[in-house]
Amino acid sequence: MANLSVKICGVGFYNPVIAASGTFGFGREYNELYDISLVGGVSTKGLTLEPRPGNPVPRIAEGKSVILNAVGLQNPGVEEFIKNDLEWLRTKTKVVANVAGRTLEDYQGICARLDGLVDMIELNISCPNVRAGGMALGIKPENVEEVTRLCKAQLKSTPLIVKLSPNVESIAVNAQAAQRGGADCISLINTLTGMVIDIERRRPVIANNTGGVSGAGIMPIALRMVYEAAHAVSIPVIGMGGITCGRDAIAFMMAGARAVQVGTANFTDSYAIPRIVREMDEWLNSHKIEDVNEIVDTLKLN
Amino acid sequence: MKELLATIKQNKCIAEGIWAITLTLPESVGKIRGGQFANLSVGDGSFPLKRPLGICSADGDDITLCYQLKGDGTHLLLQRKAGEKLSVLLPLGNGFDLGDAKNIAVVGGGVGIFPLAAVVREYAGKRNFYSYIGFRGRQYACLENVFAEGGRLTVATDDGSMGVKGNAVQAFLADYKNTDADLIISCGPPVMLRALKSALKERGITTKCLVSLEERMGCGIGACLVCACKKTDGHNARVCKDGPVFDIDEVEL
Repeated sequence: MANLSVKICGVGFYNPVIAASGTFGFGREYNELYDISLVGGVSTKGLTLEPRPGNPVPRIAEGKSVILNAVGLQNPGVEEFIKNDLEWLRTKTKVVANVAGRTLEDYQGICARLDGLVDMIELNISCPNVRAGGMALGIKPENVEEVTRLCKAQLKSTPLIVKLSPNVESIAVNAQAAQRGGADCISLINTLTGMVIDIERRRPVIANNTGGVSGAGIMPIALRMVYEAAHAVSIPVIGMGGITCGRDAIAFMMAGARAVQVGTANFTDSYAIPRIVREMDEWLNSHKIEDVNEIVDTLKLN
Repeated sequence: MKELLATIKQNKCIAEGIWAITLTLPESVGKIRGGQFANLSVGDGSFPLKRPLGICSADGDDITLCYQLKGDGTHLLLQRKAGEKLSVLLPLGNGFDLGDAKNIAVVGGGVGIFPLAAVVREYAGKRNFYSYIGFRGRQYACLENVFAEGGRLTVATDDGSMGVKGNAVQAFLADYKNTDADLIISCGPPVMLRALKSALKERGITTKCLVSLEERMGCGIGACLVCACKKTDGHNARVCKDGPVFDIDEVEL
């Protein structure tokens, strides 16, 4: 058995596979299927200061090897999360609070509220679904830097992850902007914006018309972006985008990620995360590598 | 609730565009209640989502799911042969709670009859059912024998090619006064459920009515918040976890 534990910004994760935001709720439902202490960490469903009802349905569609979603940040609000779920989730695994807002003040407020209560905070500045919020802040590097700086100023003890959108001109430039703003870590990629059309009805399948594309089909794009971002900054990187097996996770870590997140694969295989952890261990053992950290950033370009 | 690799026992066409797939589960998943559903993989990695299908019957470790050929996924599913294995997550959702009801009106349209069939199959002989099931035409009709075993059956078709002409809601309303139903259970397309809701209101029928909803789903277990429906109190409910069965007065249709 190889060492799978990783340390990111001083936070020790039991293994490097974290459940990606929006696919895992606050962990309770998956805990009915398996003990989620097997998961390295949980990035929560995107939280906002106030409860959000989300978008009209349908909120999901499927393409070849991908899905699209436009849930629109439905969540019970940060206070309900703190009251009902946080304590329980912390007994299970590391808690990454994924947070979003409509305004800069929303982002500052929710960061201040969660400071010291969770293991890490992940800024969702790239959710492409809420017109007033996410997208605008995640596109331009100057906005990325500003929201990061304002949020970081609210945090006395909890490390800050900035989750980057791939729908940008240069992922490396935006990664650097997050670092300049004071981010302790970056995670990427969030979903790519896409569309699926029902040709019989001549309408998009998703009520929101467009949605965020995720799943195995986006992995080559995600890997390239993780590689570029990781080599543009000195802060740690958490990689994600289409991971479905242990070898996929290994590839992200070779490209420079210190940990990974798994989202869509949970829908295809409810036990995806523990399986991926097991497969990583098997791969490491078969290559006589004793510590998963040894593979980080070991990619050799042609 | 478990995700299991099940073996296909049979996968056959039972009406035009309607297939029934019987799966043998490698282990028990406990009691399955009529109205619960299963999330079935179509067995191809390029289709990341499982298909939520109403459980039509559960017989020991064999379960039967029915599906309508609709898109690429269901067309792939029909090619799966006996002996092949598919991943299935079940049982999901709450199912129909019949309570103490003795005489139950069953109003089903199209593919909505499948979860209702599971209820009637389980309670046939123990409760009395008045079933009203509607199809577009006779070529789409299936499972009539299941409903007939539960009590009195009225089949309705849009084109009048079988049974009475019209839809299931019309058939139910025409006959309602001749029943002593103390519970109504229903499943069908949204337009049918809306018609049922407004008809119950207009006629002042206060009999408790449970409806099973359908929505596109992600995880199927309540985590991803994809399959939201609006409750009349303004809050959202998760069709997969809080439903799919709701009191008709509890949800906006």
